[in-house]
Amino acid sequence: MKFQNRWLAFLCLLGSFAVQPGCTKKKVEESKVSSTGSAEAPLKIFYHYRRSEEKSLDPVKSFDEASRQHIRSLFDTLLEYNYLKRPYELAPLLLTKMPEKQADGVTYLFTLKQGVKFHDHAVFPEGNGREMTADDVIFSLKRFADANANRLSYTLIQGLVVGMDEFRELSKKQPQGFDYAKHEISGLKKLDNYRFTITFTRDSPLNFYPLAFEGTSVVPKEAVAKYGDDFDKNPVGTGAFYLKSYSRRGTTVLAKNPNYHGTYPTEGAPGDKEAGLLEAAGKKLPFVDEIHLPLIEETQPAMLKFKKGEVAWVAIGRDDYIAMVDRVPTTDGTKKFKLKPEYEKYALYYVPSLATNFMRFGMKDPVVGKNKALRQAIAYAMSADGFIELMMNGRGNRSESIVPNEIAGSTRETGSTWYTQNIEMAKKKLAEAGYPDGKGLPALTVEYRSAIKDQRQQYEFMRNELAKANIKLEGNFQSFSNFLKKTDEGNYQIADAGWNADYPDAENFYSLFYSKNKAPGPNTSNFENAQFDAAYEKARHMMNGPERYKLFAEMDAILKEEVPMILISNHYVMGVLQPNVRNFKRNLLEEYPYKYVDLAR
Amino acid sequence: MINYIIRRVLQTIPIILGVAFIVLVLFTKVGEDPVRMKLGNHATQEAIDELRAKWDLDKPLGTQYLIFLKQIVTFDYGESFNSGEQLSEMFAEGAYASLMLTLPPFFAGILMNLAIAVLIAFYRGSWIDRYSTFVFVAGMSISYMVYIMFFQYFLAYELGWFPINGFEPGLNAIPYLILPWIIFMIVYSGPQIRLFRTVFLDETKADYVRTAFAKGCSPARVMFVHIMRNALIPILTYTVIEIPNLLLGAFLIERFFSIPGTGDILISGVNNGDFPIIKGLTVLLAISFTLCNMLIDILYAYVDPRVQLDG
Repeated sequence: MKFQNRWLAFLCLLGSFAVQPGCTKKKVEESKVSSTGSAEAPLKIFYHYRRSEEKSLDPVKSFDEASRQHIRSLFDTLLEYNYLKRPYELAPLLLTKMPEKQADGVTYLFTLKQGVKFHDHAVFPEGNGREMTADDVIFSLKRFADANANRLSYTLIQGLVVGMDEFRELSKKQPQGFDYAKHEISGLKKLDNYRFTITFTRDSPLNFYPLAFEGTSVVPKEAVAKYGDDFDKNPVGTGAFYLKSYSRRGTTVLAKNPNYHGTYPTEGAPGDKEAGLLEAAGKKLPFVDEIHLPLIEETQPAMLKFKKGEVAWVAIGRDDYIAMVDRVPTTDGTKKFKLKPEYEKYALYYVPSLATNFMRFGMKDPVVGKNKALRQAIAYAMSADGFIELMMNGRGNRSESIVPNEIAGSTRETGSTWYTQNIEMAKKKLAEAGYPDGKGLPALTVEYRSAIKDQRQQYEFMRNELAKANIKLEGNFQSFSNFLKKTDEGNYQIADAGWNADYPDAENFYSLFYSKNKAPGPNTSNFENAQFDAAYEKARHMMNGPERYKLFAEMDAILKEEVPMILISNHYVMGVLQPNVRNFKRNLLEEYPYKYVDLAR
Repeated sequence: MINYIIRRVLQTIPIILGVAFIVLVLFTKVGEDPVRMKLGNHATQEAIDELRAKWDLDKPLGTQYLIFLKQIVTFDYGESFNSGEQLSEMFAEGAYASLMLTLPPFFAGILMNLAIAVLIAFYRGSWIDRYSTFVFVAGMSISYMVYIMFFQYFLAYELGWFPINGFEPGLNAIPYLILPWIIFMIVYSGPQIRLFRTVFLDETKADYVRTAFAKGCSPARVMFVHIMRNALIPILTYTVIEIPNLLLGAFLIERFFSIPGTGDILISGVNNGDFPIIKGLTVLLAISFTLCNMLIDILYAYVDPRVQLDG
């Protein structure tokens, strides 16, 4: 009898757990209803998520995707990338128009929009955000140049603005209390509250990209003065949203800035109008009331929440791609994708990334670095098409030049081509290199930045392809910082590589092979070629056009002949949206377009 | 007793010194370089050197070790390299979430698993014993990750019984925690029940059991009164030694269910090369283990009068 009673007690215990779920669901639904406002005026909440913790919400102290996810909504820069137009082009954001060149050819006049206000915040009198002026812009650019404030991203503007490098050097001498008011940047001149000029060291299209980079966002000096290092916890800007609540490891909420100055673009790329992307043309931004951003680091819960309708937009990784997406057969070699029938209610997007995936050769290495024929043999042996099909499920295009296809100056403009797999040619080149049938050639080491499954599979693929031409490989899988150290020292034979555009200009990619950028600069191949350098220096500050593209083609030809790398792919960025999401166009330079998106009721 | 406690506290010093040394060497020689992780691809050598100096990473290993020891003594590990947050605040918040996640299912699980184990031991050799052995061994063979992914998919997504993930402070956390609690209890049930059953069966061979039967006690009374009381000593050991692990949370559950506990903080710390986090949590864990071991010995003396601490 005692025994039976104990069993009963145990069953009751189990039963109590079974009862819980019903209560749970109700509570969750209730809390969700209350968070979306009253029935008369429901709030429009865009539920998205963060994939990793942000480093800082202070524009000058961040240079990572997670921080950018907030900063682009909280702050504004002078310029931005047009949301809809492709190829990517700069557009005024805090300005009334694009900067105007002055008579000297290197000074530009910037005219600010009037009436742009900082967020309402306790740092201002009576909590009302004051108007942003030219003083704020100059203060923010000085802060970007201040070595005590910005350790991460100054190189993006280094050498571009007259007097800015000198200002930075001065700041290094005063680690404490460096007073911006006492030190001027000679290239920055305030004309009045809404107009200022920037004098550049030379006229170049590259001058303007840093002004769209989030690090140069405009901040109010009183907030920086009040909060100091804690400004990142009290971010005040002119952005489309303000920080309503913040939780680094929980859910952060951004709320609509009712005084936002921006409007939806009135022009787009071909096809945008038909896709309904111009229906909101000219309307005041933003359209949604709040953005909810919980931290979800794993892909499974993010996708499950999406499928349950609790997240508006989610990226598709390799496993989800297999489950959700089909390839559409084409006859012209282009890649097309569609969602499987069970997911057709969602909207699929896929766009070529602004990144090139490749392998570098260490030009200092006595075996591969000094033997061009060997590098050519390896380039002939590698199959980029096979890599894309097997490793990426076809979600990419083979790279014909280091410049991704979405950036002006790519193979579309230059007509450049890269090696296609040809094992016979590979063997011939190998013999030319002094290693007939691979005899005498030691196994070459390929450096990888981690030991994750993907990297090991990529190595196995490459090892197998090169073995067809009798070239042996060994993989070295290591931590990311060890990988960086090794490549910075140029102490390697072959290394996994990739470059994501800092700004949409081909120069950013060719700089990877410019001899003055040798390691620890971005030219970690330590490639050196006088002819390449001359063409790069000439093309660097030119406007895009046939003359510049001709120089790019010349540089492509040198890279193909000298082979400091093996080009592989330009991958697709892919994701799905809930059916009620409007105005969404994947813009890889405005990665989180919260201020443009809308939700259909 | 006081002498014993003082002696045990003093014994922890070489342990902590050793742990600190191993952590420092491992981090310096094997781990990610925190400066490169923080500054990324665009950093100049000057910026790298400056930050290395700011974080004392340019100093000789011996000096870094002394700095680390000072941090241990003062319990001040400074700020996270990655976020600049005060570690004391981070750890307090993390421990709160981790204990919310682990404490209820741990103690509820122990009670439930004790009940199941004693029943299985009572019916040893029967179909209940054989069947449960098969079920629990099979359950233990399945990866923790599989439980998480399956239950999250099936119970939260397919059946919609629970939220998929999330966390809120206070009692609002409960709806988000029920599924993680269930997973936690299921994952721990196999090893715990097997352990407790073995303990009970070992006790059945003791002399006092024969004496109890000789006195005419029923099998149920012997099992549930005499054996259970004596089996509590190893069970107590197991329970107390698990307490530091509860503080550290269950990092896979925390990650998949977005629970901001110390386990998740530690994983992020390792991924980002955030040395203060790794240092702080490792040493705190070492101290917790040492203190819990001491606590076990003290509790032994109370539970079993034969144990003489000062002897």
